[in-house]
Amino acid sequence: MSERKVKVKVFRFNPSTDKEPHYQTYEVPLVEGMSVLDVLDYIYENIDSSLAYYDHAACRYGICGGCTLLVNGKACVACQTPVTGDITVDPAIKSKVVRDLVYEVR
Amino acid sequence: MVNVLVEIIATDVLIVGGGGAGLRAAVEAAERDVSVLLMSKGKAGRSGATLLAGADLTLDGRSLHEYGFPGAPNDTPEKWMNDIVTQGFYLNNQRLVEIYVRDAAKRVKELLDWGLEVLASEQRAIDTSGESIASVLLRRAKESGVEIVDDVMLVDLLLSEGRVAGALGLNLKTGETMVFRSKAVVLATGGWHKAYDPNAGSRELSGDGVAAAYRAGAYLANMEFVTFCCDIMYWPPKWRGNLFTYILHSLAGGRLLNSKGEDFLRKYDPVIVKYGTSMEWNKCFVSIASALEVREGRGSPHGGVYYEIGDTPWEDYERRVTGFYRNWRYKGIDFSELARMLRDRVPVEVGPAAEYFEGGIVVDERMRTNIRGLFAAGECATGMFGANRVAAATTEMLVEGAIAGGEAAEYAKKVGMPEIDEKQVRKLEERIHGPLKREEGVKPVELRKRIQRLAHEKLGPVRERRSLEDFIQFLEVVRKRDLPKLYTVSKSEKYNKEWIEALELENIVVLLEISARSALMRNESRGVHYRIDHAYTDNDNWLREIIVRRVGDEAEFTTKPVTITRMQPPTGIVPYWDMMKAMMLAHSDVGGHH
Repeated sequence: MSERKVKVKVFRFNPSTDKEPHYQTYEVPLVEGMSVLDVLDYIYENIDSSLAYYDHAACRYGICGGCTLLVNGKACVACQTPVTGDITVDPAIKSKVVRDLVYEVR
Repeated sequence: MVNVLVEIIATDVLIVGGGGAGLRAAVEAAERDVSVLLMSKGKAGRSGATLLAGADLTLDGRSLHEYGFPGAPNDTPEKWMNDIVTQGFYLNNQRLVEIYVRDAAKRVKELLDWGLEVLASEQRAIDTSGESIASVLLRRAKESGVEIVDDVMLVDLLLSEGRVAGALGLNLKTGETMVFRSKAVVLATGGWHKAYDPNAGSRELSGDGVAAAYRAGAYLANMEFVTFCCDIMYWPPKWRGNLFTYILHSLAGGRLLNSKGEDFLRKYDPVIVKYGTSMEWNKCFVSIASALEVREGRGSPHGGVYYEIGDTPWEDYERRVTGFYRNWRYKGIDFSELARMLRDRVPVEVGPAAEYFEGGIVVDERMRTNIRGLFAAGECATGMFGANRVAAATTEMLVEGAIAGGEAAEYAKKVGMPEIDEKQVRKLEERIHGPLKREEGVKPVELRKRIQRLAHEKLGPVRERRSLEDFIQFLEVVRKRDLPKLYTVSKSEKYNKEWIEALELENIVVLLEISARSALMRNESRGVHYRIDHAYTDNDNWLREIIVRRVGDEAEFTTKPVTITRMQPPTGIVPYWDMMKAMMLAHSDVGGHH
């Protein structure tokens, strides 16, 4: 059984050390029923634990709003957005990035 | 802007926790003319277990009737107390139960007056949503002048001359430590769900307040008791830990099957099945029954059992669900895909998952701990529900939160501002920065995943001596060898997930070890603590709480007789299932899920 992989292009930026943002692409094995948050978890747990995305208080019920991101340019909550193919993930407010996909809300 | 000096923020009362208990405590304190600051690990009112609650709020049926709902006019405080104490297998602190029964109606009525959304009601409960409870409390807290700081994790309590002097927090986004200097502190940090996988909590619940209280010298108790919610989804990944199937099972019916296709609940006494599936007793009974199937090799691929709609015609089933959850939408989730699975008889993998922690910080009837100026409320405190919770924890958080907030405010009015021990602050800062300084060692996420899996397996709904001993040994090694070696790949202090996890692991490991040692010590079965090697309830020797306190680097365990006011416990050694049945049959004539 061949494993299907998806390409996940992720916005990376550390304002205190990087001059400008860049994208990093990860290959993630696709499991049916995976959300964008599950894909980010996979990257953090298995490929690159330096990736920052707001999940430390994530509810995973689509109501806390903490995991709001841009997926392929569209704002959505990562925990309720299914992954079926390649995606690009950006912070919802690029001008207020704390690190990578984490941003200030106010 | 570089801030080289540690920021010191002074307030009369510091509340730690942005869920229902913390917000209710903050409101109560702020209305008594003291300054109140609430620090929340996530966003206050939009994080914690409150938001995830289904939710119902319990109160006595007579008060509910008086408020214009059908309720249960024949209900009395004595009946309700009888039900809570028997559900708790007589391990409840009866003084706290009396307070719960006395204050529940007042606290729920207040929320109604403040604009709580009501979806339905039953004999002893109002059905609402966790979002509505949290929103109403958050708005009220803001109106009362509570200052709120989001995304700050509790590192530890600060002490000065034997009393609490505030807390050290870590701003997770900036990576800066924050010194909160206060006359009183109310801990309202909830449970330690993150110690388990799967779990039914939100991600920040790692027992930070309970572990900090323990390190500060507070007594913990009843740490062996963990409620596992049954019928929690195990698969697919995006729904792992989700409780919608639990709601479906009680709302619309259906059945549980093992891998052999057997309806395994039928093996049990029909009385236990009746109470144990129609009331919130299901969390205790069905979780144990499901875990036994898995243990005996009849589980699903992801370690659960199967849920399906059974003999109910699909149209009837769907009508019951969509009557409550239009278009199969629950909270922010579109479950139409699950609906198709259920309709097409695709079995859904479900099972027990850590949901509520009966154990925690020991408090008296004024929510005081044994440390001056330190109060605790809600799930992080212990005593109310004894060995098994059936009445609502949402009401517990309101009742205890209001008392803790009021007592903390009155205390703060009488005492001066404590000094901050700078040496303690510097030592803590040194400790928490350890993982950032180490270049190699143990990866936090790998350790966390190993711990979570073992916790579910060895400290789940079914326990026995050998696996508890193995688990304790494992945790001791982790505590002594692995925790000091945790390191982060990124050295950034700004929202560093590995750093957050490393700090959380310190709390998770200490609490799991205490929990496992308590579970090993309690060589009987009571409530949600089921020991297959001691499958009886020992009322002659174990109507006692296990109390824990830190002495040096180790935990010291003692026991203390349970606090009794009105209800004399039974005597004798009774087979566990007979005891469960007797406790179910002891219920009063008031119906409903509680």
